[in-house]
Amino acid sequence: MTETIIFYMLTAVILLSALGVVLLPGLMHSALCLGLCLAGVAGIFASLGSDFVFAAQILVYVGGIAVLILFVVLLAGSASDKIVRQVNDQWLPSLLICAAFFWAFLKITGYFSGIPAAAAPSPSVRAIAALMLGDYAVPFELISVVLLASMTGAVLFGRRKAQ
Amino acid sequence: MTEETIQPKVLEPVFNHANGRLLMPETRYWPTDMWKSPWSLPTYRRGAAVLAGLILGIAGVAWFIGEIGPRLAPIYTLAEQFALSYGVPAFWIAVVWTFIKGVFVLLAPALNALFAVWWERKISAHIQSRMGPMYVGWWHGALQTLADGIKLFLKEDIVPDCADKVVHWLAPVVVLIPAILVFAPVPFGKDLIYANIDIGTVYVFAVGGVSVMGIIMAGWSSGNKFSLLGGLRSAAQLVSYELPRTFAVLPVIMLAGTLNIADIAGFQAGYWGGIVPRWFIFYPVVGQVAFIVFLIASVAETNRVPFDIPEAESELVAGFNTEYSGMKFALFFLSEFAYVLLSCLLMSSFFFGGGAAPLPFLDFLPSWAWFLSKTLILMFCFLWFRWTFPRFRVDRLMDFNWKFLLPVSLLNIAAGGVLIWLLS
Repeated sequence: MTETIIFYMLTAVILLSALGVVLLPGLMHSALCLGLCLAGVAGIFASLGSDFVFAAQILVYVGGIAVLILFVVLLAGSASDKIVRQVNDQWLPSLLICAAFFWAFLKITGYFSGIPAAAAPSPSVRAIAALMLGDYAVPFELISVVLLASMTGAVLFGRRKAQ
Repeated sequence: MTEETIQPKVLEPVFNHANGRLLMPETRYWPTDMWKSPWSLPTYRRGAAVLAGLILGIAGVAWFIGEIGPRLAPIYTLAEQFALSYGVPAFWIAVVWTFIKGVFVLLAPALNALFAVWWERKISAHIQSRMGPMYVGWWHGALQTLADGIKLFLKEDIVPDCADKVVHWLAPVVVLIPAILVFAPVPFGKDLIYANIDIGTVYVFAVGGVSVMGIIMAGWSSGNKFSLLGGLRSAAQLVSYELPRTFAVLPVIMLAGTLNIADIAGFQAGYWGGIVPRWFIFYPVVGQVAFIVFLIASVAETNRVPFDIPEAESELVAGFNTEYSGMKFALFFLSEFAYVLLSCLLMSSFFFGGGAAPLPFLDFLPSWAWFLSKTLILMFCFLWFRWTFPRFRVDRLMDFNWKFLLPVSLLNIAAGGVLIWLLS
């Protein structure tokens, strides 16, 4: 009962803010709605009982990526004006693409939608750590190599041109 | 006819024993005038007696009250049995209990702001040889913050014409709500904790980071270039200093082997050789470096001097909160002081053993008293820094973080690994 109420409240927040990302005039409002949407997803994680994914979602997505997007919008000049038309006339292809993705997601999630969630959050940090640094250590380190490469690339692009 | 000339009343200065010099009678002096002879022995004796009386009195009250957490548990059980006997469902008891606990957590930042603002004004005044607030309240302007709070409530709420109204209204809320939510997994003493969750440390850093969004919102929505610049700088600083702050705690987590803040504090119980407490600050090199990095990054994270260039009055007209007035402005300050309290609570949990006594024979005082005194001493440092160091320039601020604090904290993680290997 409680879980259902919380689930529908969070879903309403996520869907409305996701619509806001697409429909609101002004890039800044869209970016803020994106932050709210990601926070709602974190709430879903918390209600499903996975505490670490909840905290990581807030830490990385709301506190990191949404803030980064806000920075980009602030530094983008006239794109951060209060009212900017954000849509072009290609709404029909985008609608079709979205419908295709929606159908695909519906098919995929249909396999897992009947699985009940754990009632209370159970500590999952140790299990995640054992998997990340034990069984899956090599893929985990490979991801960090990718991150290192992208950071090096950013430094290269960000460096001033030699006189 | 005798003419009676009215003689003007001649006042002679009288020696005042309280401050050891000549004062005019029937004259109201400024509080600062009463302080002109700084080495007057009677004043100092009285001050020392008041201070010692305060400390001993608070310690006595704490000893008399004893541990709060274990004493509240039977009261809760009693109330629960009472409610159950009237057929209240257990679910609703849990909901009501959560709300009651939530009110206490909400009180922590509010009362802290009331006290800390007054304390900061007194400390700043005494550092600058002033008296600070003296009139409101019965003792040394003790109710000054309350009066200021009422004043802020009554003030007009001004919203600029070119402001984005909704975002402008939401920004203080987005800053304040995380500042209250972060107190959930933080212990205030033995068993005095709202939510004893397993990922407390990650939760605190994650939720605390959401406030950055509110600062950007405040800066952007004000429709003012100084606010925008201040918001950008402030957000950049907060995002940058979060990294060394988080990395500084990693050796603590590695040693304690848990992310639960209360468990980390409990891990440091006990004494080496019966005298030196097993606090993390006393672990050789790693502990001290971690503490100093965490302290510096915490001061920067709360946007306080010397790291307050984003809200500097002289450079940016007070930065992101320029266009805020009344209670909205006060909310920014409430959250700033809430984060100061949070940093001090975290430091006393991570590095100073939480509620443990510094010496074995002192443990007759309850854990919450030790927690409170450690937190207040650390908070004094925060307020002290503000009136001691000059501001950083904005580029040096960033250089200091990325080129000094971050490498040091990364090296410290490696040193922490070596320390664990040596200890095992």
